[in-house]
This record gives sequence, C-alpha cells and structure tokens, in this order.
Amino acid sequence: MSEQFKPNIVAFLCNWCSYAGADLAGTSRIQYPANIHVIRVMCTGRINPLFVVNAFQQGADGVLVSGCHPGDCHYMEGNFFARRRFTMMRKLLEYVGVEPERFHMSWVSASEGAKWKDVVEEVVESAQKVGPFDQFRRNKINW
Amino acid sequence: MVDLEKLRTVAKETVSRDDVKYLIGWRQGTYGFRVSPHFMKEPEEAEKLIFSPLCSNNLATYLTSAEKLPVPRGEEPDTRKVALMVKGCDSRAVVQQIVEQGIKREDVIIIGCPCDGVVDLNKVKEKFPNVSELVQARWNNGSIIFQLPQGEEEVPREDVLADKCLTCCYPNPVEADVMLWEEVKTRGSDEFADVKEMEAKSIQEKQSYWQDKFSTCIRCYSCRNVCPMCYCEDCILDRLNPNWIFRSVNASENMAFHLTRAFHLAGRCIECGECERVCPVDIPLMKLNRKLYKETKEIFAYEPGLDLESKPLLASYRPDDQEDFIL
Repeated sequence: MSEQFKPNIVAFLCNWCSYAGADLAGTSRIQYPANIHVIRVMCTGRINPLFVVNAFQQGADGVLVSGCHPGDCHYMEGNFFARRRFTMMRKLLEYVGVEPERFHMSWVSASEGAKWKDVVEEVVESAQKVGPFDQFRRNKINW
Repeated sequence: MVDLEKLRTVAKETVSRDDVKYLIGWRQGTYGFRVSPHFMKEPEEAEKLIFSPLCSNNLATYLTSAEKLPVPRGEEPDTRKVALMVKGCDSRAVVQQIVEQGIKREDVIIIGCPCDGVVDLNKVKEKFPNVSELVQARWNNGSIIFQLPQGEEEVPREDVLADKCLTCCYPNPVEADVMLWEEVKTRGSDEFADVKEMEAKSIQEKQSYWQDKFSTCIRCYSCRNVCPMCYCEDCILDRLNPNWIFRSVNASENMAFHLTRAFHLAGRCIECGECERVCPVDIPLMKLNRKLYKETKEIFAYEPGLDLESKPLLASYRPDDQEDFIL
C-alpha cells in the first residue's frame, strides 16, 4: 500500500460530555484525523453492545465509545453500567478474533477538547496498525 | 445414594397438594439412552419418574417457557406453584432466574437431586453404538453402570461424563425445598483449561478457528430455545423492526448471532451445557460461555446463580470497577 490506509472509525459519544468535548475541539480549531464518524447517544449506558457488532458488520474498522468520567454521568450511573458491559464485550471480541486495537472506550468531559484530539489520534493510529477489517462485513446481496 | 422410592413418594405428596399445578421431572425415553422430561399432574404417574446419569436435560427451561394465555373474563389467574426436580446446575439456573425476577421464589417448589454427573450422549454412543433398546444406568461410586441388552457394563465416569460435569464445582443443589438424598462430594475443580488454551492462540488463529466453527451454524436457534437463561418473551433474534441480526446464514450474520448470544449470557450463564448438547452441528458454545464466566469470576469476583440475594452482574456496578482499558 503506497497510500496510508484510512480506517473508518465509528464513535458513539454521550450527549452531555464527549459530544460537547468534540464540539469544543471543533470550536477551538484543534486539528484531529477526519476518519471518525460520530453518532450521538444520550448516555454511554444507552449503547447496546450490539451497536458495536453492527458497526463492524456495516463497515467500521474500529469503534470508539466515549462518555463522561465516572461520577459525572448526567444520569448518575449510566457510565458505570457501560463500563462493566464493555469490559465484558472487549474480552469477548478479543476471544473470537477481533483485534483489541479495534475497540476503544474513553472518558472525555465537555471541557477536554485537547484530550478528545489525543483519543482520536490514538484510535485512528491503532486501527491503522491492524489494517482493514473485512472478515466480518455484511456482504452486499447480489441477487 | 439415588433413592427412587423417596423420589416417587415426594413427587406423589407434592402433586397431591392443592397449590401445585404440576411437577416437572425426568422419565424414561422411547429408545436407547434417551430420557424425556415428564410433566406430572396426577399422583399415579409417580412410577414413571426416574433419576439416573442419563438425565442430562435441564428442566429449569420449562419454568419460563410455559405459555401464558390471557385469563378469560371473570376467572382468576392460576397462581398454583410448579414443582421442579433439579440437579446442581439446574438449581443454579432457577436461582439466577429468581435473582433476575424472571420467576418468583414462592411460585416454585424446588426438589433437589444431588447428582454425581450426567453422561454425554455422544461419548456413550461411541462406546456402545447401535443400541435401540431402552437402557438404564446408575451411579456406582466413581463409575457408571449401564444395563445394556447384552448385560451390565461398568464404565469409569471420566470416559462417559459430559465435560461440564468433569469440572463441576456445584454438584449439589444450591437452593432446595426438599433435598432427596445426602449430598455428593464435589469431585471436580474448574481450572478453565479449555478457555486458557484458546486464549493462548494468536488473533489470526482464533479468528480462523471461530469462523470455521460458526460457518457450520444453521441458525436453528436450538441453543437459545433450550437455554434456561434465554427467556425474553420478545427475543432480539425474532424482532423484525429494527432487524439487528439478519436471518441470512452467512459469515457475518452467524458471527453477529453468536456474539450476541454469548454476550446476553455474560454473568448469567450457569454452565449447564445444554446449548452445546443440543447443537446439531457441534459448535463448542461452552467455550464462548466459559470465557465470559471466567472473566466475570476473575474481574468482578462474581458467579451467577449461587445467592438469592445477589444482584445480576450487568445490572449493578461498583464505583471502583476495573477500567484499565479505558483511554
């Protein structure tokens, strides 16, 4: 590959912290990789691990889940549940042969525009390292 | 140890009670090594009940799969109890269902049958092929005696027992209203050898191993139907709108199905091994389930189905849960 591989990253951001953090990064004109596709959800606790599986099926090379720091959740405890859930999901994905570099979780608060940039850079970098992920794609149906 | 007289007397007494709808137990099957579940409504049927190393079915499934018909106007709903015979693993399924509030404790009568391990039919059939006459079996202190047409055969337990029974740590029911006979001693200890072997492989090896296994899946959903913990009335696999997992049988959907099935049992699987037993294409589903079991045990020090007062793993949290993977 002469050109560097550009991974598709799907990011699930919580409305109250990480989405606002990404917004801050934008308004502060911080440069970060443009490979990231943001999906806003109300809370990380709302993210069904099936969303992650589905993102991989539909063309993601990496998935990022980002929310409020523990204790800062707008709904008091949503991110605590999400943390347990994705601890298990991550182990399971690794066990069936999905590289751990493809799934990330982070805490980014509304004031951490600079941290958001670091997170995105690391996620994109690690997805680049393991390359495209097409073993798990939902094939287009050819009738 | 196994006292069939006691079992039948207790069954008779239980079914005669006014507040009991029926009793679910095991009875002789129709051929070979088969055993069927038996829904006993009349005390006279007690003679049919058996308990032997062939009783591998987990009857806890039937607690939640009974059809809930709408109650006709002017009639009271049927609030009678269901009596259930349980082995060690089955009792954990019942406890976990109670913990998750799938059923109520006062709605079941648990009849505990301490169990020294049940056989794996595939292993037995390999040892004794082409047996069509009914066979009976019994435990005999570390071995199993089969009453075959040609006479009795004694086989060491390691040769025929199901894998889950060889590593079983809970052979005695953890919760029971009546315990039928004295508790058996725990022979196994669980080191998760199969899971560790799998973990040691490289990512590419894991990927090809599981793709190979999942590619044979015909999506019959037997594993879901037989699982005592899969009792959602509206299962995500049956839902058409939104349709998360397509019905087409291909690599992508099979992978999504198996990930979903395994994940939905995270912190809930009680290792009864029924999914693997019924799988028509022999996918090692317990390897997936046991991986999650191992992680819950190691990370959260949690084992499902042991304590009626515990909370479900993924519906509770601790502020100091591990978060070393979070950026």
